[in-house]
Amino acid sequence: MGGKITCTLGEVKNRADFIIYWGGNPAECHPRHFSKYTLTPKGKFVPEGRKGRTMVLVDIRETPSAKAADIFLQIRPGKDFEVATTLRALVKKQRVDPALVAETGLSVEQLQDIVDRMKRARFGVIFFGMGVSMTRGKHMNSGAILNLTAEMNAFTKFVCMPMRGHGNVTGADVVLRWTTGYPFGVDLSRGYPRFNPGEFSTVDLLVRGDNDAALILGADPGATMPQPGIEHLARIPTIVLDPKVTHTSRLARVHITTAVTGVSAPGTSYRMDEIPLPLRPALTSPYPTDEEVIRRIRRAVAAKPAWTPAPSRMMAIA
Amino acid sequence: MLRITGGTVYDPANGVDGAVHDLYIADGRIVEASAMAEGARTIDATGMIVMPGGVDVHTHVAGGALNFARGLVPENQRAARKFLHHGDRRAGLGGMTPTTFATGYLYAGMGWTTVNEAAVPVLSARHTHEELHDIPLVDKTSLVLMANNEFVLDLLEAGEVERARHVVSWLVWAAKAYGIKAVNPGGVEAWKWGKNANTLHAPIEGYKTVTPAMIIEGLATIADDLHLPHPVHLHCNNLGVPGNFATTIETMNVLQGHRAHLAHLQFHAYGGDDWTTMRSESARVADAFAANPNLTADAGAVLFGDAVTITADGPWQHLLYQLTGRKWGNLDVENETGCGIVPYVYRDRNLVNAVQWAVGLELLLLIDDPWRIFLTTDHPNGGCFWRYPEIIHMLMNAEFRREQVQQLPEKARQRILLADLNREYTLAEVAIITSAGPARSLGLTRKGHLGVGADADVTIYPTRPDHGFLFSYPRYVIKGGAIVVEEGDVREVVDGKEFIVRPACDETIEDYIRPLFEKVYTMSFANYPVEIERLRNPEVVTPDAQ
Amino acid sequence: MLTLTLNEIPSVPLEAEVLSPDILAPLTIEAIRALPVHLGKRERRLDDFFTVDGEPGDEIELRGDLARVKWIGRAMTHGTLRIRGNAGMHLASAMQGGTVDVFGNAGDWLGAEMSGGVVHVRGDAGGQVGAAYRGAPTGMRDGLIVIDGGAGLEVGMRMQRGTIVVGGPVRDFAGLQMKGGTIVLGQGAELRTGAWMNRGTIISLQPIPLLPTFSYAATYNPTFLRLYARRLATFGCTLPYDERHGSYQRYTGDAAVPGRGEILVWRANR
Repeated sequence: MGGKITCTLGEVKNRADFIIYWGGNPAECHPRHFSKYTLTPKGKFVPEGRKGRTMVLVDIRETPSAKAADIFLQIRPGKDFEVATTLRALVKKQRVDPALVAETGLSVEQLQDIVDRMKRARFGVIFFGMGVSMTRGKHMNSGAILNLTAEMNAFTKFVCMPMRGHGNVTGADVVLRWTTGYPFGVDLSRGYPRFNPGEFSTVDLLVRGDNDAALILGADPGATMPQPGIEHLARIPTIVLDPKVTHTSRLARVHITTAVTGVSAPGTSYRMDEIPLPLRPALTSPYPTDEEVIRRIRRAVAAKPAWTPAPSRMMAIA
Repeated sequence: MLRITGGTVYDPANGVDGAVHDLYIADGRIVEASAMAEGARTIDATGMIVMPGGVDVHTHVAGGALNFARGLVPENQRAARKFLHHGDRRAGLGGMTPTTFATGYLYAGMGWTTVNEAAVPVLSARHTHEELHDIPLVDKTSLVLMANNEFVLDLLEAGEVERARHVVSWLVWAAKAYGIKAVNPGGVEAWKWGKNANTLHAPIEGYKTVTPAMIIEGLATIADDLHLPHPVHLHCNNLGVPGNFATTIETMNVLQGHRAHLAHLQFHAYGGDDWTTMRSESARVADAFAANPNLTADAGAVLFGDAVTITADGPWQHLLYQLTGRKWGNLDVENETGCGIVPYVYRDRNLVNAVQWAVGLELLLLIDDPWRIFLTTDHPNGGCFWRYPEIIHMLMNAEFRREQVQQLPEKARQRILLADLNREYTLAEVAIITSAGPARSLGLTRKGHLGVGADADVTIYPTRPDHGFLFSYPRYVIKGGAIVVEEGDVREVVDGKEFIVRPACDETIEDYIRPLFEKVYTMSFANYPVEIERLRNPEVVTPDAQ
Repeated sequence: MLTLTLNEIPSVPLEAEVLSPDILAPLTIEAIRALPVHLGKRERRLDDFFTVDGEPGDEIELRGDLARVKWIGRAMTHGTLRIRGNAGMHLASAMQGGTVDVFGNAGDWLGAEMSGGVVHVRGDAGGQVGAAYRGAPTGMRDGLIVIDGGAGLEVGMRMQRGTIVVGGPVRDFAGLQMKGGTIVLGQGAELRTGAWMNRGTIISLQPIPLLPTFSYAATYNPTFLRLYARRLATFGCTLPYDERHGSYQRYTGDAAVPGRGEILVWRANR
């Protein structure tokens, strides 16, 4: 069934000699990725630095990241799943249809060459970005790369890692997992955690209008959601906690300005490889921290009469 | 203040074996009767069994590896026991990888009051402590992974044992840990190139002189020299492999003259040459163990049913993935260690699983001295901690045990000795393997006993349970003097303590570590040590320096 | 027959797993009216939302636009559940027996992980029909789902046995990681049909795009289809099989696994 084979970024820096960036533009979106982790640093086992590494960029267009690549594979939009699936078959020396492969914008020969290089690598890594995880196929595109990575381990050391978006997405994922068991899209309305992307994930909830209130913290759905979702946010009581007045603030009922986490408020940030880093504020702020505001709201809510019946009466539903 | 009257007390550390007497609790400790003032609540424990709270010496409940596992198995969470939010009771999920609040409720609900998180990478120790912070009701310790730490390996390669000791001491305090964990010495490092370390006396991948044996001996020496309360805690090489009993016995030889604790011994007591000939070698392992009184061990017993294997033994997990085709997770941690995860099901129809199930029980029955072998399932690797009462039942009831053996396939029965073992554990022995023994091994002097001065962690069981096994549903659980569980319900939620150790350390060793760190790690050195403020209720133990 | 008529569309989704013959059949009308349903985080009474009439028993009819009512028919083992209107997510989830008939549309997760019984949706269904829930190894284990209209993503994902028939268009990933069973696509599908399939049969009556990991095997008229066609005719589905009208092109895959599933694409004679 595949799995998730990964490592912390130092392993990449010290060992990786074959790096694939897929569906991402690190030169512009993760500007220190090359110099800190993947291309230029002298690794413990890659002392030659850049010369000891091969970088492959897979994307639908030639971004500034292509300048740093040894091999650039331009694939047609919406073909990431097909390419990754084909690679999985080629890794196992299975038959593929050359004409259908060619529809991806790449040839069987090109993909076979990549597979050969992957197998010859001492330590390969695939970094996949939102071009993979947010385009048609979504989690299946990511799943294809995860499975490919797991299967490559029969031949050589291979890992993969998602290139996370800005903010502390990884941190939210990590904390939700330990407190609720699930990384996102967690529903607590039946008194215990439930998970079902598509049913409880944010975009879907908002677009269907399944919620009758919203508290937005550290995000700006009023700028990024599909229009029906934005309209729904404007209709229901929406509360925003943010250092800035955002698009969402403008359609919210209440906006509370809070201190900037990491600059004026302490905390922990989890890096894309899930390593926790302490945030030590450098400045003070006249505004309360997100934590202070949430605690005050929670105290007020806790003072209200309980709405959940005593636990013994609750039927557990999947 | 609390008075427990008329209970049948089992306090083996103080020589109490089923005597009926009263216990007095004040300010979170066991006290003399004379220290009690007016207004104490009384629990009438007449006809009930009173024991010190359980101590789990080896479990995986918090941190990066366990949290990684949670993410891999949403379907397990869906089927898991539900904990409903109510009042100050937090929502959560039980199952094989319980969420943090649920972990506390489950342990306390079973009468266990101290847990030892057995595997923490320094680099993500901050994460571990954040999770431990969110586990209510139990006290905690944690062990930091050292046997594949490249700073340490490089120093051992160079023969610089004293400097290695200072580095280890610095790392233990940086991680705010309680002791040293060694997993598959050299093997996890080799896995970073896709290899393993199967031979104790062969140099490991990437090194010319350092062998697994040298790492084992080196860390055992360091733990002894630092006077750590708990000895080096070792997961031997070749875990799970048929024929690995030889490696385990060889490891015991390497450890002669040192204290050590062997983790989940069951996984290391197999004979045979391959999966089809695999059999139990618990007798030979138990004999060698008996001849090495410097060692303690925990059982790591297997129970039939669902499990999730979570271990720093990366190469083993890749093998399990290839053998079973199940989901596989792997996370290598730069310069230090790694972890592998494979959800698994132990079936009684499976010959290998049947042998594994028997071996754990055989070791518990063959090793005579209960002060040296402790009850664990290497949760969640062999089975879930909340099933410990099933194992206790099998240890106490030979007939029930034999009935279970009879249900195994004929071929499996030929490879195990369990049916021939008649020993039945007494209640005193149960109190030792679940509490007094692990507390002593961990060097937690206020745990595992009910003498004056002990922490008031007390579990009271009905002699005849309404349902389940004898130890499934304590009538009362007292933690630090507070009645936290009553009639199977969590009544009060208290926060536990975290015991951490600050060994003697030459502070200048930081000048050695810093430049190396900056070269091979990927964060600022200032961010590496865990800030003590992150720990909830830390209690620092400072062992005497040599 | 017991009838439950929705009085007003709930403001947020209503979870009503009590709407199953297993739960309703043995109860009195008063007890039924008092059954718990969940409006978001609040527990309410069934009759806060439904007017309950008729005779409790194995035949139940729900009336109204129940598109926001989730978990209807959950784990039912027998009886007839008829919905005159739309139904929400998780309809007939984990169903083991009986019949569900929807005169309207159904939401996502229709018949998820079901192991028996018959579901007929006259309108459209959502995604994940007969599928496994996230992370679970197996979806539908047996039973029959017929959808007259179209359906969404991941129809039959990880199904092991049983049959799903969709009359209208279907979106991406139909038959994803299939382990067995049969999916009939009356109007074909969008992308990535049969992705990573291990075993099982996908029959498409229209041409569909295929992954590069599928290979053409043969053109033929499989005999088993006559039996299928007869069975499906009772639901008003027409499955062509006669060589006078055309043949099926057989593709095997998915080589990425490598799997031994098949996709049969109907090619009408000119």
